[in-house]
Amino acid sequence: MNNIWITTWYTVREALARKVFLFFIGLSALAIIISAVVVNVLSDSALISGVTTQDNNIIFEEIAASIQLIIITPLASLCILLAIFSSASFVPHMLEKGNIDLLLSKPISRSQLLFGKFLGGLLVVLINVGFLIIGVWLVIAIRFSIYNFTFLSIILSVTFTFAVLYSIIVLFGVVTQGSILGMMAAYFIFLILSPLLYAGKVQFGELITSDFLKSVIDFFYYIVPKTSELMGQITMNLALGKGIIDWQPILTSLAFMFAAIGYAIFIFNKKDF
Amino acid sequence: MKAVETKDLTKIYSSSFGKKKVQALVELNLDVESGLIFGLLGPNGAGKTTFIKLLLGITFPTAGNAKILEESLSNYSVKKKIGYLPENHKYPPYLKGGEVLKFFGKLSGMNGLDLDKKIDELLELVKLSQWKKTKVKAYSKGMMQRLGLAQALINDPELIFLDEPTDGVDPIGRKEIRDILVELKSRQKTIFLNSHLLSEVELITDRVGILNKGKLLREGTVKELTEKKEEYKIVIEGNAADLDSISFDNSFTRISDGSYSVKVADINELNKTIDQLRSRSILLKEIIPMKNTLEEMFISLITESEKNIK
Repeated sequence: MNNIWITTWYTVREALARKVFLFFIGLSALAIIISAVVVNVLSDSALISGVTTQDNNIIFEEIAASIQLIIITPLASLCILLAIFSSASFVPHMLEKGNIDLLLSKPISRSQLLFGKFLGGLLVVLINVGFLIIGVWLVIAIRFSIYNFTFLSIILSVTFTFAVLYSIIVLFGVVTQGSILGMMAAYFIFLILSPLLYAGKVQFGELITSDFLKSVIDFFYYIVPKTSELMGQITMNLALGKGIIDWQPILTSLAFMFAAIGYAIFIFNKKDF
Repeated sequence: MKAVETKDLTKIYSSSFGKKKVQALVELNLDVESGLIFGLLGPNGAGKTTFIKLLLGITFPTAGNAKILEESLSNYSVKKKIGYLPENHKYPPYLKGGEVLKFFGKLSGMNGLDLDKKIDELLELVKLSQWKKTKVKAYSKGMMQRLGLAQALINDPELIFLDEPTDGVDPIGRKEIRDILVELKSRQKTIFLNSHLLSEVELITDRVGILNKGKLLREGTVKELTEKKEEYKIVIEGNAADLDSISFDNSFTRISDGSYSVKVADINELNKTIDQLRSRSILLKEIIPMKNTLEEMFISLITESEKNIK
């Protein structure tokens, strides 16, 4: 456990050294400041000023959560895009000749080493996403005196979305010892494949008449991680305090993540350096 | 106790589709006793680095097996007792010298004040104390090697693998590294040294192995490997003409005035030759067994091995 923690911590150090972490925090701080200004303007608008906390507490909470969501959703997506870019080289760097030799000569198992690297990438994103979401939440909470703590659970949904994508990056990193393919695969799933499959299966499923096409979409829908739903419906429900209504996207994405990380560890354990 | 023990250790590298195969090590059998400095010599591509990587579990053997400190290679906890300085090592450039040692110390299971004390001691040993708080990206090649040596010693290992430890180090630095290795040996540490620098290896190693194209050609003490069998240097007093005028059965070769080499079949023949010289009242000053330098022996062995392969 100690070995995993050391590797995790030094991955965070690596992110800090590459200024990635500071850039994230800077960007998030800027987003929080902009949110504060926007919320201030909105709070004076007719829409919100007409509703008082005493009369319509539930409506007011929902409006506040919606504002938070409107601000956070695009920022969190941007956060994930940047996180993919910045974390893609963690594993390939570790596998560079001269570096990996030294690490493998120490009393740490290969599984611990790779898992620590994976957790390190997650921790960087968790801290950053946490900072962004807590910041925006505080702005709205203080301004409207509404402390909806369930909203903060979206920190986990956004970090989990990244974790699933990061498992692909780690797997490609181990196989190719480079960052490009992993990054491309993660972007492809996040921006194209997952939204397309979601649309094909859920949104426009009834419009597709071909059984074959339906089967193909079904097959890929259940295999490919559902980042669209994780960042969309699930995050929204969590923000609005509705909890998790459908566990299927989470469980299938979790299974994908375990499979990707498990396979990456399996290959890493067999690989010659 | 055996520090290193291998039996028929073989490594074959295959290309992605298995079409091209390279035999990096061929059925290598080698035992290294604890407390020695062992030098593994060989030309580029001989398999020296592969051998170390196999022992450390960085690469996996195709066949055969090996033990280090009498433990199987699959037991990674044995690495707590091992130090390693790889060739062309890289450290995270954002870390300072002291932080590099702290990172590898922690990975080796050390912590707290003991680790801090050890870091200071080692930086002092490799003369990098004043660079402790400088990022390693500012270090020269020689400084990186010295930091690498400190890193290899951070966990006070019993067995230390050094792959070209003096690469890029100036002559004074090399001497300092040699002195450190000799001092480590005096503390019963086992040192396994890969090097191209034969003259250096000759100076400090107890035993030497010579590897070429993955095969161990010879192994023994430097003395054993460099001795020329039944060839002696004889130095006489007086005029060399005295000796030149005498016809011997043995083949005498003149080295310089008053100094000759003689090849004999055995010790009896050597004594017979001495008797002949003495019977002619030639005064003998020295009789010394002739030796090759390690470099001469190495070159002749490798050349011979190349011929055999062809």
